[in-house]
Amino acid sequence: MGQAITRRLTSLGMSVAGLDRAESPLCELSYAVDVTSADEVARAVNDIEAKLGAVDVLVTTAGHYESTPLTDVTDEAAHRMLRVHVGGLLACAQAVLPGMLSRGSGSIIAITSELAVGGGDRDSHYAMAKGAIIGVVRSLAAEVAASGIRVNAVAPGPTNTPLLPADSPWRARDYLDTLPTRALAEPEDVAVCVEYLVSDATFTVGEVLNPNSGAVI
Amino acid sequence: MTTTQDLLGGKVALVTGATGGIGLAHTAAFRAAGADVYAHARHESASLSDLESRTGAHGITRDVATPEACRALVRDVVAKAGRLDILVANHATMSMAPLVEADPTEWWRVVDTNLLGNYALIQETVRVMREQGGGGRIVVIVSEWGVIGWPDATAYAASKAGLISLVKCLGRELAPEGILVNAIAPGVIDTPQLNVDAEAAGVSLTEMHAIYAQDIPLGRIGDPREIADTAVFLAHPQLTAMAGQIVQVNGGSTRGRV
Repeated sequence: MGQAITRRLTSLGMSVAGLDRAESPLCELSYAVDVTSADEVARAVNDIEAKLGAVDVLVTTAGHYESTPLTDVTDEAAHRMLRVHVGGLLACAQAVLPGMLSRGSGSIIAITSELAVGGGDRDSHYAMAKGAIIGVVRSLAAEVAASGIRVNAVAPGPTNTPLLPADSPWRARDYLDTLPTRALAEPEDVAVCVEYLVSDATFTVGEVLNPNSGAVI
Repeated sequence: MTTTQDLLGGKVALVTGATGGIGLAHTAAFRAAGADVYAHARHESASLSDLESRTGAHGITRDVATPEACRALVRDVVAKAGRLDILVANHATMSMAPLVEADPTEWWRVVDTNLLGNYALIQETVRVMREQGGGGRIVVIVSEWGVIGWPDATAYAASKAGLISLVKCLGRELAPEGILVNAIAPGVIDTPQLNVDAEAAGVSLTEMHAIYAQDIPLGRIGDPREIADTAVFLAHPQLTAMAGQIVQVNGGSTRGRV
């Protein structure tokens, strides 16, 4: 998903810097960073601003998925889920916002999930974290809109990425047949949503786009 | 969208209510994206002629006050263009009145024009899309007032809320055959329609704009182009997973799920 977004933003003429635990080969600059560390994120953003200039757009896609029945979710797993998803968004937003506020423009896009909107069985701690992202997005949107910064989210349904293993139940025909579109979302769906939010959605604020194959309507 | 002048090349689009404030912008945006656009208006006008010469859209006139007229409009377009790939169901009428004082004839005129009319328009469009195969895109313009309601706007809000439910059903019903139905719920947009609101509130148009802007986090009302760009986004060929969704474009006024 991050790669599809990177390709599309690059095609718009933007310079893209990537923060990930691994290398981001498609990005102009790549930082091996744990997004749960506000310090590491802040250092990376400082370096990006020194090399590429002001950060105009932030897209947060970092996250991990675990399916666990509620009673089996450990405190550690729940804590980590929140730190990666919500902490990652907070750290990145706090690092780029001072610059955006001083320039009076910017766009922040958080990738959340259809499971945050509709929930799912054995998805409680994942949905909790992704739902919290929506709360942050709507609140931050209200907080900084008057300063010229738009904050929005994309909540994809199950998406055809390498993170979804070949034996995932979401790839099974009998699951796909429950989806109105009968198919997984493609990474390109998310990238098109990001392009819209970056380029054209100048009156769209605090909104969640739902490319979820009609899983939640 | 900004980078894609041939994004919709070879596609035929129908925009209803094309000489209204947002309709003009839809027509220009879909032409800029490369679609062949049929721009519907109730009657011939300087505004329609100007739109045709400015954008290269084909004007097509019909009073769509009845469901049968909406169906006939779709057949007119298909007779001329040979096909229909994208429908922007944009036409609407509105009037405001407190519920108890509302004239039932006028109340039902608003609901029937907006809800029953667009229902028929969509129904006939789906028949065409189904027959030609290959799916299609339907973008229905609803309203923030159909989401959160508004005093003295029961007829308009009822019609738009009805369209929201219609879009949700058709998202489910038609996505299996590749016809993707979605809606845009605009907030307050700078169109001549605001004259109606200003009149009802007893203030000038400029004052009306300022009053609305106070309640919008972005601090301003919207531009028709911002709705039109959203409609082009929903027609993007690579957006394949969006069905039955309502995109709210309102400067942050609602920030809630529809």
